[in-house]
Amino acid sequence: MHMTRPARRAALAALSVTAAVALTACAGAGSSSGGNTAQKIDVLTTISKDPVTLTLAYTNDPPTKALIDGFTKRHPNVTIKPQMTPFNDYIKSIKLAMSGDAAPDIAQYNPGAMNSLVPAGLILDLGPWAKAYGWTTKFPPASIEVLSSDKAAKQFGTGSLYAVPGGLSVLGVFYNKKIVKEAPKTLAEFEAAMQKAKDAGQTPLANGALQVGGFHLWNALLNVTGDINDYRGWVYGKPGSTIETPAAKQATQTLIDWAKKGYISKGASATADADALAAFSKGGSAFLITGNWAASTLETEMKDDVGFFLMPTASGEPAKVASGASVAYAISAKSKNPNVAAAFLDYLSSPEAAKIEFDGGFMPVDTKAELGATGLRGEIATVFASVAQNNGIVPFPDFASPGMIDKLTPGIQGLINDKMTADAFLKSLQESWDAHHGS
Amino acid sequence: MAREATSPVSPSRAATARGGGQAASGHARPGHWRGRRARGWLYVLPALAVYLGFAIWPAITTLRLSLLTWDGILPPVWAGLDNYVKIFRDSALYEAILHSLVLIVFFSVIPIAAGLLMTALLMGKVRRGMTFFRIVFFLPQVLPLVAVGITWRWLYSESGVVNQFLDAVGLGSITRAWLGDYGLALVALGLIGTWVMSGLCMMLFLAGAQKIDPSLYEAATLDGAGAYRQFLHVTLPGVRKEITVAGVITTIAALASFDLVFVTTNGGPAGQTNVPGLLVYRLAFNEGDIGGASALAVVLTVIVIAVVAAVRYFTRDDAS
Repeated sequence: MHMTRPARRAALAALSVTAAVALTACAGAGSSSGGNTAQKIDVLTTISKDPVTLTLAYTNDPPTKALIDGFTKRHPNVTIKPQMTPFNDYIKSIKLAMSGDAAPDIAQYNPGAMNSLVPAGLILDLGPWAKAYGWTTKFPPASIEVLSSDKAAKQFGTGSLYAVPGGLSVLGVFYNKKIVKEAPKTLAEFEAAMQKAKDAGQTPLANGALQVGGFHLWNALLNVTGDINDYRGWVYGKPGSTIETPAAKQATQTLIDWAKKGYISKGASATADADALAAFSKGGSAFLITGNWAASTLETEMKDDVGFFLMPTASGEPAKVASGASVAYAISAKSKNPNVAAAFLDYLSSPEAAKIEFDGGFMPVDTKAELGATGLRGEIATVFASVAQNNGIVPFPDFASPGMIDKLTPGIQGLINDKMTADAFLKSLQESWDAHHGS
Repeated sequence: MAREATSPVSPSRAATARGGGQAASGHARPGHWRGRRARGWLYVLPALAVYLGFAIWPAITTLRLSLLTWDGILPPVWAGLDNYVKIFRDSALYEAILHSLVLIVFFSVIPIAAGLLMTALLMGKVRRGMTFFRIVFFLPQVLPLVAVGITWRWLYSESGVVNQFLDAVGLGSITRAWLGDYGLALVALGLIGTWVMSGLCMMLFLAGAQKIDPSLYEAATLDGAGAYRQFLHVTLPGVRKEITVAGVITTIAALASFDLVFVTTNGGPAGQTNVPGLLVYRLAFNEGDIGGASALAVVLTVIVIAVVAAVRYFTRDDAS
């Protein structure tokens, strides 16, 4: 009797490890009905005055709720019920919700979930509405290109459109104006400014390489050294693409050099993004590489002492490429009111929505909208608009394959700790790419 | 395999209870006996249903899923042993297992040693304030591991308390971001486990030692045994069962560790603290490879059972 107790404990504990996976998994098994709706839908760009209720599943707020309010104010007969899921659970929950019978009409787009939902035919091809509404001119081209994919949802920038954005983001460099007088114009000036900060006993660059901060830094460097089409093709999964290019190697080598020179501390590997942001906002470092989503926190903490610039190029000409993501929305193939849902999607490109998106901390979809913004966010909006209008927004590298983030984060840590070469790093990324897309 | 490991438990208990009942009722008629038997099952049913539904069924499902290629949505495809072949070919698995074996030292061996030491020091000497000590040492068990992990991440950071202390005592030259150090991150992580587990071990051993008949200590004293010999020949055999339990619990915590690693290092720097639990999570929820994740979970379960069996073998009581 006594001897069996530990055995059962052991088995129970061991089971609990497996149970988490199994429970999530088998919950999905029952409801994985394909929703391939072949029926013809009449595409309309006007919506009737009858009362309609839609549901919208999302994880990012702002801007979602404010956009819903803006839209329903314009169309009082439409009610949109928001269904919020925390980010960590969103991929799992949206997969189940969209394949269930009571699928939400509109769902926030997530590449991790869509690579199952699009092949299953559960997401509506927005092509007819894009044509009817003229979305290719209303949304920045790069922002909808990344939301288009083939039927297998493996290759992007091709095939059908599955979502449109309701708020964009952009990656750049924040600097502390108390430490750095003027934003550097060239890569050499940037390095000189970091050296100066280091000589003065300050941390040049706060970086959260425990999470995404490390590869965002690498990504920003790659944007100014590499060819946009090479990178875009690779992230989109264009057959035959590779990241093992001289430009990528050069960007990687620059990162290694910066770590060796002490611009990035070895401790970055154990620093979370939030901790890096907190350190920078308290004056603990001269620079911080992250996206516009940090702007409102930094403005509150640092007032006028913070500025923003895009990673400078070696030649000094203004950067034309920057990474960014979007909060985008897709329509369920099971929706009974796809025209109403499409009207909501169209609303996202309006100047009115642009204001809501910007106030929510995002870059607006309508890049020409008059925002009347000043200060830090005005600064960001200005540099963003020029890049977006030149079609220079590219996705983050973790977009390239589902397992990529688990190569990027440890890889960058290896580079910072001088335990990995540039070649080995790029090779590990390409292996993940090949495993997903086929070499 | 989970079924094999667990099935001897419930039936044997039921059998004992039944046997006991039978003995008490003497010559029971067969029909009456059958009724008692059915009633017995009725009592067991709620617990059994929960156990089957939340432990056995998920385990079987995991085993089944490990033989499929499935992303969670599209119809699953039979894969045979492909998932297993794939994970065994990946060197990441072996590194992760190696790391979790190192963690056993910090989660299990050191805490048990520390627990025994504390027991030896406290037993029979501290009469007042025992509850205070127990609460203080048990506190880490009460805190959520995620909170523990984040707090330790800050303690270990470049300007954290650990480095401030080292600076203060003149060891400024060895300060670093401990969890970000390529060579020492695993040790730093392991020491968090030591901190969490030591109190639990001490609690178990103290409870066990209090059951030891004081006359044994008196007899040992009369025979001229000092404190060390008393500990070795009276206390240690007295808490043998508790050592087994502590060994099993802490070993599982080391092998199946996930939450602590996830929030402190997430496997970093550069995969130096990857553990199997993290790889399962990434496969299932980052890559959407339910089959591969299930296969890895099954392998992890087998490893846990094997190591636990070994722990029980080495701490077995030869006398009984």
